[in-house]
Amino acid sequence: MSFPILSLLILTPIIGALTLSLSSSTQLKNKTIFLSGLWITTGEFLLSLLLPIFYDKSKNGYQFIEFHTWFDKFDINYYVGVDGVSIPLILLTTFLVPICLLCSINSIQNRAKEFVIYFLLLESFIIGVFVSIDLVIFYVFFEAVLIPMFLIIGIWGGENRLYATFKFFLYTLAGSVLMLLAIIYIISKVKSGNIELISDFTFDQQIELVLFLCFFASFAVKVPMFPFHTWLPDAHVQAPTSGSVILAGVLLKLGAYGFIRLSLPFFEYASIYFQPMIFALSCVAIVYTSIVALRQLDMKKMIAYSSVAHMGFVTIGIFTLTQDGINGAYFQMISHGIVSAALFLIVGVVYERHHTRMISDYSGVTNVMPKYSFFFMVFMLSSVGLPGTSGFVGEFLVIMSTISVSVYLTFFTAIGVILGASYMLLLYKNINFGDLKSDIKQLADLTNIEIFYFSCLAFLTMLLGIYPKLLFEMINKSISLSII
Amino acid sequence: MINLFQFIPEIFILSLILITLCFGLFNKDRAISLNTLGFILLSVLLLNYGKDFYSSTQISLNTINLFVLAKIILSIGSIVFILLLKRPLKNENLYRYEYVLFLLFAILGSFVLISSNNFLTAFIGLELQSLSLYLMAAFNTKNLSSNEAGIKYFSLGALSSGFLLFGISMIYYDTGSFNIQNLDNFTAISEIGLSLVLISLFFKVSAAPFHIWTPDVYEGSPTISTLFFATLPKFASLIFLFRVYQELNISDIKSLNYIFQMVCAISLLVGVYGAITQKVIKRLLAFSSINHIGFMLLGIMSYQFMSEGTLFFYLIIYLITTFGIFAVLLNLRTVDGEFTKISQLNGLRFTSNSKSISMLVFFFSLAGIPPFAGFFAKFFILSASINDGFILLSIIAVLSSVIAAFYYLTIIKNMFFNKSEIELLDDNNKTGKVIFILSGLIITLFFIYPDPLINLVDNLFK
Repeated sequence: MSFPILSLLILTPIIGALTLSLSSSTQLKNKTIFLSGLWITTGEFLLSLLLPIFYDKSKNGYQFIEFHTWFDKFDINYYVGVDGVSIPLILLTTFLVPICLLCSINSIQNRAKEFVIYFLLLESFIIGVFVSIDLVIFYVFFEAVLIPMFLIIGIWGGENRLYATFKFFLYTLAGSVLMLLAIIYIISKVKSGNIELISDFTFDQQIELVLFLCFFASFAVKVPMFPFHTWLPDAHVQAPTSGSVILAGVLLKLGAYGFIRLSLPFFEYASIYFQPMIFALSCVAIVYTSIVALRQLDMKKMIAYSSVAHMGFVTIGIFTLTQDGINGAYFQMISHGIVSAALFLIVGVVYERHHTRMISDYSGVTNVMPKYSFFFMVFMLSSVGLPGTSGFVGEFLVIMSTISVSVYLTFFTAIGVILGASYMLLLYKNINFGDLKSDIKQLADLTNIEIFYFSCLAFLTMLLGIYPKLLFEMINKSISLSII
Repeated sequence: MINLFQFIPEIFILSLILITLCFGLFNKDRAISLNTLGFILLSVLLLNYGKDFYSSTQISLNTINLFVLAKIILSIGSIVFILLLKRPLKNENLYRYEYVLFLLFAILGSFVLISSNNFLTAFIGLELQSLSLYLMAAFNTKNLSSNEAGIKYFSLGALSSGFLLFGISMIYYDTGSFNIQNLDNFTAISEIGLSLVLISLFFKVSAAPFHIWTPDVYEGSPTISTLFFATLPKFASLIFLFRVYQELNISDIKSLNYIFQMVCAISLLVGVYGAITQKVIKRLLAFSSINHIGFMLLGIMSYQFMSEGTLFFYLIIYLITTFGIFAVLLNLRTVDGEFTKISQLNGLRFTSNSKSISMLVFFFSLAGIPPFAGFFAKFFILSASINDGFILLSIIAVLSSVIAAFYYLTIIKNMFFNKSEIELLDDNNKTGKVIFILSGLIITLFFIYPDPLINLVDNLFK
């Protein structure tokens, strides 16, 4: 296809951001700025819908390929294309960004223009990560994502935002620079940054192990896996609602996407070699962070820890190295992207009205906000993994695929499901049921805008839960190629 | 008979100096604009006929390219510097035409240094350059710390010159020659001599552990002089260091190579650890420059991979970024005078859009975060060094750049997240503004359209 749809996807938000930045901020009202941001991102979403429509599922390999020489002398190319693995994540991104803007129309009062600009830049960088099939531009976009996120948390975050945003930035950077070295080494060996060529290349076994660990350092921080997860609760708690949404919804997926797209095909030997380590870390992540989540007093922190646990399922699924496992992990990624984003929005709704995130400050919310409680329940159950919601399919497939590896693994993942149910139900119970506290009587129920985006998210969860084939059709072929 | 043709750039500057000396007495404004014109002319000359100047000599083509490119960069840098210097000097009541003379002498010294094939000529060039720098450091004669900076710089610089002379004399004792190319059979004595030469050069480029003067001199001198120290003379000394490394095949001499690697590693680490706790922006920039020198030394060591391209690339980007940062700093003033503390940057975002966003670009670029040119500069240096097998040094380099990211982020934090505490006076210097916006644009646009810069480096090395 000659139409440069992927470049257009990357460029549209950047151009939008440039136009916005050139307009004078004193004349524009916040609302106009947000509306123009919304127009741009909705257009982007519609544009991205073209991808699944024109994507040929029967073909192998990348489609919509664009190739331009970028640094002639150093053999770095602008080389983009998509396959089944990247399209759903692109859609998820373009779907979530307008929602982020929608939910912050009221909560972001100061410096709205910058806010929208950073979100637009963030969107294009994230899409850049998902479409690049050259290692250098992959890294460039992967790293560039940090800048807008750093500013979003730092400017519009909570009281302790500086600590959180520095921790977020430095953790991720420290992981990524090791990957940078590995990328440089690979390019110097293979003489090309092309992902497909590198997949065919076989490294020395010892070197492959080191390279794998370098990539692992970067992706494990992003996912985040157990010992590297501590930046996540801080970043989530301090980030504004929209920041948390995009962080949980998409940024965490960059790590898992990296595992599927780069680690597995590049380092086949090392993937098998390190399988036990990753299983152990993921099991610890699932059980330990679930227990930690049980004892949290802060709603956002609880959901942040639950994110770590859910991403543990994803890493287990990926490293079972079976089709079912990776399918399940991928499904879990998308599902978690929708559900955790929705849960952060849910927290954002009450935080915006009551200005506290402490669970103990809420009780009996269902009396005053019935619609809110309804949507909360949908997403809570989906997070728990109730059949019929998207959460179920992913968890089920992952657990099923673990049996072929080890029964102990199955045992721990299953415990994770039980613990997950217990903390989510506890959270729901404490907030929505019980006596109505006097100071929350005035809380208003969901506005129309909120109902709109919650229903979109709820619809997606249900749709994926009831008809998962929609997603599997898309990813099956591409994933089967990345398995050894 | 000596062919004077190859000295045209130096003669040109010399005549500029003489003209300025005569002219400056009567009209300093015109003397300065004359110099701007002069350097523009020189850049054009070098761009078009640079290679012809040296065509009658026996110098290898590669070295000629190096000379020409380095001199072009120096003269373009001088144009920018001359355009910048008027307003800051006026603000400090230092606006005298001698300043331009010192600049000219320093540039003349740099030119001589770059193209010298003989240790004695190199010494003369280096001394000419350094003496002008000492004077520029102490130019604010009424200010105590400026005097202190000048004296510190002078005394330590004199010490290092002593090392240099001693080293040269040892080499002469051993080989009977001052020529830089002509050192085939080495003995221990010329190895020691050469190591002394290297130490003195490390001092000039402020590589750790010979960096002690840097933060003090940077802090004490007038900011406009600091900008000069941080850019052009350092660039010239680095080019000379590069030539010494390349033409004497230092990579083959085990002990010197070891010294080189140690200095590189120490610079990388001292640079970042020193910078973390700094509260004065010029001190922070001093330490950060030490860290960048570490990267440049890594580039010098691994030149075999992609020829000189990577090193030049890094240098050019670094020069542009430094000019940009200082152009912003020079444009800001507090009520008490020159802008000094990092905390004074607080809330810059609210007072000036263009300044804060340019600074954001510069610091992210220095930290090596894509999508800015600084990322590619570091990327190419690391590519070269990994290809040449300096794995450990590369790991130190990237980890140091993570720590470096911390203090660059702190500055960005101050500008973007904090509320302003004191009132910053906007100097509203139009040329300064043009320069930092232009540098910011180059740093950003490079990511999208890298060809011009790469071609510039590339063509000259073909």
